[in-house]
Amino acid sequence: MIYDVAHVTTYRYEEQVASATCTLRLTPMRTADQAVLSSAIEVHPPPASRRTRSGFFGARTDEIRIDTPHRELRIEARSRVEVQTVRQPSLLAEPAWEEVRDAAARSDSLAPSAPVHHLFPSPFVAFSDPMTRYAAKSFPAGAGVVEGALALMRRIKADFVYDPRATQVTTLPFQAFERRRGVCQDFAHIMIAGLRGLGLPAAYVSGYIRTTPIGGTRLQGSDATHAWVSLWCGPDIGWIGLDPTNGIRAGDDHIQLALGRDYADVAPVTGIILGSGAQRLTVAVDVIPLGAAPVDG
Amino acid sequence: MPVRTRPKPRIGLDEWTSGYAPLPGIPDEFLGADGNPHPTWRRFLRALGEIPPAELGRRFASADRHIRDAGVSYRAYGEETERAWPLSHLPLLLGEAEWAAIAAGIEQRARLLEAVLADVYGEGRLVRDGHLPAAALAGSADFLRPMAGLKPPGGRWLHLYAADLGRGPDGRWWVLGDRTQAPSGAGYALENRLVLSRAFPDLYARLNVERLAPFFAAFREGLAACAVRATPRIGLLTPGPYSQTYFEQAYLARYLGLLLVEGDDLVARDRRVDVRTVSGLKRVDVLWRRIDGDFADPLELNAASRLGVPGLLEAMRRNVVVVANAPGSGVIESRSLLGFLPVLCRQLLGEDLRLPNIATWWCGEPGARKAAAARLRELAFEPAYRAAGSGPSGNGGLLGPELDRAGRARLAGLLEARGIDWVAQEIVRLSTTPVWEGGALVPRPFTLRVFAAATPDGWRVMPGGFCRIAEEPDARAVAMAEGTRSADVWVLSERPVAPVSLLPSADQVQVRRIPGHLPSRAADNLFWLGRYLERAEALLRVVRALCSRLPERGPASFDASPAAETLRALLVEWKAAAETVETRAEAALGAIRGAERPGSVLSAVLSAQRAAAGLRERLSPDAWHLIRRLRALVEGGAAGRDAGLTDPDIVELVEAALGLLAAFAGLSHENMNRAAGWRFLEMGRRTERGVNTCRLARALAGAGPVAGNLDTLLDLVDCQITYHSRYLVGLTPSPVKDLVVLDPYNPRSVAFQVGALADHLANLPPIREDGLMEMPRRLVMALEADLARQEAEAIGAPVLLDVERRLMDLAEAIGTCYFPHGPHAARAENLFALA
Repeated sequence: MIYDVAHVTTYRYEEQVASATCTLRLTPMRTADQAVLSSAIEVHPPPASRRTRSGFFGARTDEIRIDTPHRELRIEARSRVEVQTVRQPSLLAEPAWEEVRDAAARSDSLAPSAPVHHLFPSPFVAFSDPMTRYAAKSFPAGAGVVEGALALMRRIKADFVYDPRATQVTTLPFQAFERRRGVCQDFAHIMIAGLRGLGLPAAYVSGYIRTTPIGGTRLQGSDATHAWVSLWCGPDIGWIGLDPTNGIRAGDDHIQLALGRDYADVAPVTGIILGSGAQRLTVAVDVIPLGAAPVDG
Repeated sequence: MPVRTRPKPRIGLDEWTSGYAPLPGIPDEFLGADGNPHPTWRRFLRALGEIPPAELGRRFASADRHIRDAGVSYRAYGEETERAWPLSHLPLLLGEAEWAAIAAGIEQRARLLEAVLADVYGEGRLVRDGHLPAAALAGSADFLRPMAGLKPPGGRWLHLYAADLGRGPDGRWWVLGDRTQAPSGAGYALENRLVLSRAFPDLYARLNVERLAPFFAAFREGLAACAVRATPRIGLLTPGPYSQTYFEQAYLARYLGLLLVEGDDLVARDRRVDVRTVSGLKRVDVLWRRIDGDFADPLELNAASRLGVPGLLEAMRRNVVVVANAPGSGVIESRSLLGFLPVLCRQLLGEDLRLPNIATWWCGEPGARKAAAARLRELAFEPAYRAAGSGPSGNGGLLGPELDRAGRARLAGLLEARGIDWVAQEIVRLSTTPVWEGGALVPRPFTLRVFAAATPDGWRVMPGGFCRIAEEPDARAVAMAEGTRSADVWVLSERPVAPVSLLPSADQVQVRRIPGHLPSRAADNLFWLGRYLERAEALLRVVRALCSRLPERGPASFDASPAAETLRALLVEWKAAAETVETRAEAALGAIRGAERPGSVLSAVLSAQRAAAGLRERLSPDAWHLIRRLRALVEGGAAGRDAGLTDPDIVELVEAALGLLAAFAGLSHENMNRAAGWRFLEMGRRTERGVNTCRLARALAGAGPVAGNLDTLLDLVDCQITYHSRYLVGLTPSPVKDLVVLDPYNPRSVAFQVGALADHLANLPPIREDGLMEMPRRLVMALEADLARQEAEAIGAPVLLDVERRLMDLAEAIGTCYFPHGPHAARAENLFALA
């Protein structure tokens, strides 16, 4: 499936901003399941300097510096991405979750794809006993790791209410867990905290989800960036994508932007501006399957 | 000092030591297992015994006083105010041979840890070959992934290394932990040395105590040697005045001649890292980092950091700035690594580890976890890493022997579920050293922090260290995180040591008179320090006038005298007095001590102290001390004690405060170098005085002449004598206004302040490269010219208001021109709405 993605971020400032330095993570990743056919980021006002590098986990990062005084910063990212998810044959015997846990702890790799990076608490993912206990219910002794993870994902989908007003971007997982509501970011963080609490390596994936699935119901999270979970299931199976917001495995409807330990590693725009006064942010995302008629965003 | 012809041998020795009883089974620094004093302590106590007891008491007291007066302080986490640094009166003593073994062990460990860091962030051989589990590193919040593959400029990760040591029951020294992030304590060690060597100069010289200064000189040379430029600019990157160890940072910056900078002071762009100064951007070559590595660069590391420098990592990649220690070095502090070091040492250095670790097992290894689980009752269990994140998950340490059955079961569960988060450690009881308490010596456990600096000729170990002493007699190594008292550490040489200070030999130093470029932040603080102190002075003068000019009236309430009414209105306008009717004493005391009144003297003094706190490396201890005394005086004692104060008492208080302000002015006038820093302090003072004089003149001489007002005005601006020596007639408006506003020879007139400002601005280094005049200078020249052709008769409220506003504009222009990056930086972060 080929998609055209448009992701427009606009900051409007109450007072004039003298300069800005920003880190942009707005270019989709190249992975085994995903090819980036084209991508471009336009920034207004035009940056004085621009530098591209690859982040530790492989996402492309653009650093821009704007020296022109401005009251509005507009970042337009457009890309064309081909997604073709290669699923392992489901007949593959899956390891018990305890085996995966022990294999991760023994891992002898610090490479970006290694499980150890996603085993521990990270800035946005602190553990809590209630979250770990919640997750543990899906992992009885000897249960298969994929089986357990799918069960946990479906329980989150069933037990939590999708409510954009319940949480903010800075909400910590245990807070959203207590409220039993939130958005994709919260559900992904909660699932990650539960999995890691059990010693299973779980990563945070940011990206987009297709707006109008053919013949399906509208998926949550399509009007902005989306987030889901990637779980390491042992050396044979490797990483699998799980979307607790929609209760489905990540597949051809998911376009991956970046991967990290949690939201802090993948935030699409961060930076520092020199100025004072309030700021207002709007984000518009459109994900259009190639050939389909554009839908009003 | 009088020559002692008849030394009184060992007078106090027996007295002090007769009751000294080391804890059973615990080695003691003073008494050996056989009950006899160790030779080092015998030497020390013999020398100490010659000092008469009364003299000894005086010396201890002088040491305490020094600590207090010099403002040696630290801030406990979360506290707003600083605490005095408690120093033990007796040093920790180490013999030469024992020290040599420690130093060799530290040197080896520094080399080892440097090699580990280079491999972990570089080739990754140790992990790949199975010598170090990946998870034992990845769990640390200080394992900074963006540093992977980065070759740190200067060719090394570690520049300053410290280890915490304790002496175990077997008498050997054990490493309790490594400090590689941004080791603190070296400055306190230096200050402790200064205090103790001043209190006991004779002892210090006779006992051949190894000097610390050469170590610091070597450390500084080591930093300089890493830089690309031959005469590098070296900065100490501080988290700022609210950091726990800010005093130490300021102290070391001053001692080592480093620029004390905060992240906001630095600009990393276009293949350079620069510091903002009053003469524009100036290149920085080396940064000694005292902020956590994760906070060093908000673009690549923790995006929420306000302490770092955006682009610093990229600058490191481009080899334009050395950061010491390199961000990411903190990963070495993880306890998870301790147990692997003996193997790594053989692997990387081909040597056996000289100083043993406290026995530690990382419970991420199944074998170690099983063994530890079998010894739950005997071991201590500690977090394996400094953890990331926040929330209710923080796990502290657990002591096996203190756990009940349920506690042990819970611990066993934790180890089974996530053994990777824990280490098990042997519980070691620390040896004790004598502490002076209530006229006798008592044994107290201690830890010793030892420092090593990287130099071009290898690692150099500080002969001494930072000793922390526990309050409780019984301490287990793992339980003692922070001692509450510190002690100097004396390494006693068998031979006389050469007296060295940080002064290099004469031929190494090129004569120069310009003390380097003044950072914008320091200029900002100096300017405001000048303004706040001058504001305090003006307020005090008004209060004095209020309380001393009107003795004939009743004390109970404000009278109807126009001058008193004007003064009260002034205090209300300046937000120093309440609008509700108060008695005169209430109004006066409130204007001085009212902490809740933004315009009170106390508020001005507190603001001055805050500005001064940001300038600790630039202010002399005397100046800092004066500000502290001023604050104490203005703050007064306990609440309620002011109740009975009368006008004369208040006048006395005001005059004492004015005396301290005059002392500060004298100090800056006589002792401060006439460089840019002094000019900014002066400009702050002149601006504030000019503005205040305009306000006073407007209030008291702005409208038509009112009896008594002119007299009060002359009092407030200190011009009574000048006026009466100049004019034989009584007070008339024009001569008074001329003297107070226009007379360029009167150091308290408005015109004089403007002239001084013009002079200072003319002498600052240019920033603009086009040769045009800076904005502040244009403003001040126009104002100066206007005042010069102004006539006294024409001066009324409108003119005074205009001059006042132009002075405020000038202050604004000075800020914009010389310190534009003050408190105005805002950020665009964490605003992204996800769905």
